[in-house]
Amino acid sequence: MAQLRSSATISVVLWYGLLILVTVVMHLTRETQQSQAHVVLIYLLVVLGGSLSGGRPLGFTLAAAATILISYYFQPPFDSFSLTKPIDAVVLSAFFATAGTTTYLLVRAQEEAAQARAHAEEVERLSNEASHAEALRETARFKDVLLASVSHDLRTPLTSIKALAQDAADSGDPNAVIIVAQTERLSKMVAHLLDMSRLNAGEFPVSIELNTAEDLVGAAVLEMTGSNGADRIRVEIDYAAPVLIGMFDFVESLRVLVNLLDNALVYSPPTSPVILSATRVGDWLQLSVSDRGPGVPRTDAERIFEPFYRHASTANAVHGTGLGLAISKSLAEAQGGQLIYSERSGGGSVFTLRLRAVGATDPAELPVEQ
Amino acid sequence: MVMHPTRTDATVLVIDDEPEIRHVVHSALRSTVARVLDAADGRSALATVKAQTPDLIVLDLGLPDQSGLDLCRAIRAHSLAPIVVLTARHIESDKVALLNAGADDYVTKPFSTSEFAARVAAQIRRARTARPGTSGAVEADGMSVNFTSRHAHRDGKPVRLTPIEWAILRALTADPGRVYTHQQLFDAVWAREFGDARQYLRVHITNLRRKVERDPTHPRVIITEPGVGYRFGTPLVQESA
Repeated sequence: MAQLRSSATISVVLWYGLLILVTVVMHLTRETQQSQAHVVLIYLLVVLGGSLSGGRPLGFTLAAAATILISYYFQPPFDSFSLTKPIDAVVLSAFFATAGTTTYLLVRAQEEAAQARAHAEEVERLSNEASHAEALRETARFKDVLLASVSHDLRTPLTSIKALAQDAADSGDPNAVIIVAQTERLSKMVAHLLDMSRLNAGEFPVSIELNTAEDLVGAAVLEMTGSNGADRIRVEIDYAAPVLIGMFDFVESLRVLVNLLDNALVYSPPTSPVILSATRVGDWLQLSVSDRGPGVPRTDAERIFEPFYRHASTANAVHGTGLGLAISKSLAEAQGGQLIYSERSGGGSVFTLRLRAVGATDPAELPVEQ
Repeated sequence: MVMHPTRTDATVLVIDDEPEIRHVVHSALRSTVARVLDAADGRSALATVKAQTPDLIVLDLGLPDQSGLDLCRAIRAHSLAPIVVLTARHIESDKVALLNAGADDYVTKPFSTSEFAARVAAQIRRARTARPGTSGAVEADGMSVNFTSRHAHRDGKPVRLTPIEWAILRALTADPGRVYTHQQLFDAVWAREFGDARQYLRVHITNLRRKVERDPTHPRVIITEPGVGYRFGTPLVQESA
């Protein structure tokens, strides 16, 4: 700011100095060959120069000063403000008008040039940003390739280990049974870590489509088939009621349900049933997994969705990655849904996946032809 | 349910650059197929497909010299043998692209060898049966459908189906056991329609299941392939170890 002011002062001094100088020079020669036109043109140049470097204020004050100087020194009678010929008044006002107008136009042109420069800079900045975004996309692509190769590199050896151990287990080696189980645990961890890094990468693509809760529940039950205790899963759906329709990502919702069922089977007594139910509540499709496990202490109800949360009493007893619930919550939220925990009356936990419901529950409004 | 595939005289080609995985595939198929051939890259795989005409091809997607998708198409240009893909990725769009490129089934690593063997056996059986749909009737898990007389029965009791449900069943049973992508089903059922009707495919499937399945959430007639599509037939899942 201080620098700006001093450069403005310099240009005021400079251009008033020049104004005085040309006045003195022209005054010295005014008796000889000079016409009023020369004087006016020279003053005009000074005014334009001043407005170029000092803007409108300097331009207009120089124009006014020059008008006074012309009138006083260079219009007969010299050294007086009185005008003898009417044409002199015309010259004087024409000068003032010209000087004022050109000052105005010149400054405006300057301002427009400055705007154009700023605009060009903005364009350049935006194009820099665009290439930054391109770089980000490139990074995302790179991450994707990296994840693909990591999952390939990890899963290929796991495949051989699991298959060979399975062979040995089939021929009666009890150690091999443990290797198979541990390999399965390891592959689940790999899958969870890959999910976590995909979710953390920010761009998590979901494909939200019209789906039914029943199809989802059926796929979850099928996926659980074969895992330990899967026969304890009881499905509660009202088949007499209209089909429950929602807008959600089938694959990601399926993974949430499978995670919840996995947890419920692991944490609950081996004889108790695990209930998987689908209902509609307001604008939500609610898919609930209820167990008779130990539940979650009230103080931990918020923390169970944090990565690596483990309740102290189960930390040693239960194997897992500690990522399942955190991933499930993120997967639910990525598609506009929710994952909530509530206490089950009579003991145990209820985890509810809420997804966006679609359409009316009135069968007449369903798009099914009869 | 454990699938115990019976031994066939089939020849299977395994395309995989990892010797360990080839070993696993060999040992998984030892008791079910007659001969297992190896190829470690796309070029030799194509040569073997042309020279030995295998009955089924197991293709690993992580080949060094060629994209799995391209190889899948190249094999399809020379052979009608079923292609079972081994993939390390849980990306459904990849699976859809593979099925559209001519693959018949896929198994995600790390897979269970018994499930893998069951899928291979099912594909060989499927390829050897005369193209169904021509017979006009199919059966699965107590459900029988006759397209000529347009009668459907669940455990002997007649079941009433809507025209769209008939069309969906017709499309799925053209090749029982084959996975049809959502797009393929849209095209088969709503060939000349565009827009809103198509998005209700999954609603129609759910309604259809309530009629044809004993238990709609334990489907055994119309199987969901998550993110990919649907398949007609019993689920190929192994029971717990």
